Amino acid sequence: MRAETLKGHLDGLLLASLEAGPRHGYAIMEMLRAGSDGQVDLPTGTIYPALRRLERAGLLAGTWDEAGGRRRRVYSLTPAGRQALAAERGTWRTFSAAVTALLEPAPRPVTT
Amino acid sequence: MTAGQVIDAYVEQVVAGLPGPARERADMIAELHSGLLDALDAHRHGGLPDDLAAAAATAEFGEPRVIAATFRSELGARLARRCALTLASTGPVVGLLWTASAMASHIGMPHALPWEEGAPSGSATVVRLLLAALLVTAVGALVTIAVTGRLAARRPGRTRVAPAAAVISGYGAVIVDVTVFSLLAIQLASAPGGLAPVPVAGAAAASVARLLLAWRAAQRCRAALA
Repeated sequence: MRAETLKGHLDGLLLASLEAGPRHGYAIMEMLRAGSDGQVDLPTGTIYPALRRLERAGLLAGTWDEAGGRRRRVYSLTPAGRQALAAERGTWRTFSAAVTALLEPAPRPVTT
Repeated sequence: MTAGQVIDAYVEQVVAGLPGPARERADMIAELHSGLLDALDAHRHGGLPDDLAAAAATAEFGEPRVIAATFRSELGARLARRCALTLASTGPVVGLLWTASAMASHIGMPHALPWEEGAPSGSATVVRLLLAALLVTAVGALVTIAVTGRLAARRPGRTRVAPAAAVISGYGAVIVDVTVFSLLAIQLASAPGGLAPVPVAGAAAASVARLLLAWRAAQRCRAALA
């Protein structure tokens, strides 16, 4: 799936990837790939500024963590981030239902 | 090249020319570097030899030029916000110091303002320029703060105007300080004995410091536009 296709949904995907618990950037990207059967495959480098932007927006909290001799910046959802994720879900459900209805209309009864 | 050198070379390509507050830039680059090492490990565990694992890790992270653009956008917003907050917080302090100096020197007090009747010739034009520059500075700083704040961070498109607005605000602040010094020069030429030396010296020192700070802020934000 191209980055252009995902435009506008990246924030929601990043928030959703952190719903189960804190993760660092590379683990988030791996989760997005695995959770979408490889369909979501953005250049990994692009998610780091996006995570910082969401942190600036108060939706994520980031802290440096050291494990196995390597420092990683770990992100978790803030209460505002959980609210934003719920709102993203609601918007997506409405949007996808409308688009599905238009792209895949239910078969109409044949009239003679 | 070793795998580590391939990773370092990639990071250097991304970093080259990036704007931003030095500490935040270093922090973001450290995170990118750490992520690349995670990717390198993942490809090694996948069975690739070191050189191919390093190539796969950097390919996975994306074209350095494209990644640098995404970093530039975020760092530019952070830099612009910092500059605007600095200008917005120092402006009133310098303004108060000059107001206190004018009051201590009995300029424009208690009846006429400096540019009104009896003011030295030429001061009215300079005061108009000062007010216009103040307005531009304040609007530029407020726009920058608004588009880089929490609410706007959800809409990255709006953030793009931040460095430009911060540049306008920075140069506006420079003009404000220069015009204040012009007013001071006019006042000194017309009534040199009337100024209270200590408050005026304090305000002038604050104005010089702010002028240098505003110039540097404007230059840095201008570099973030490129």
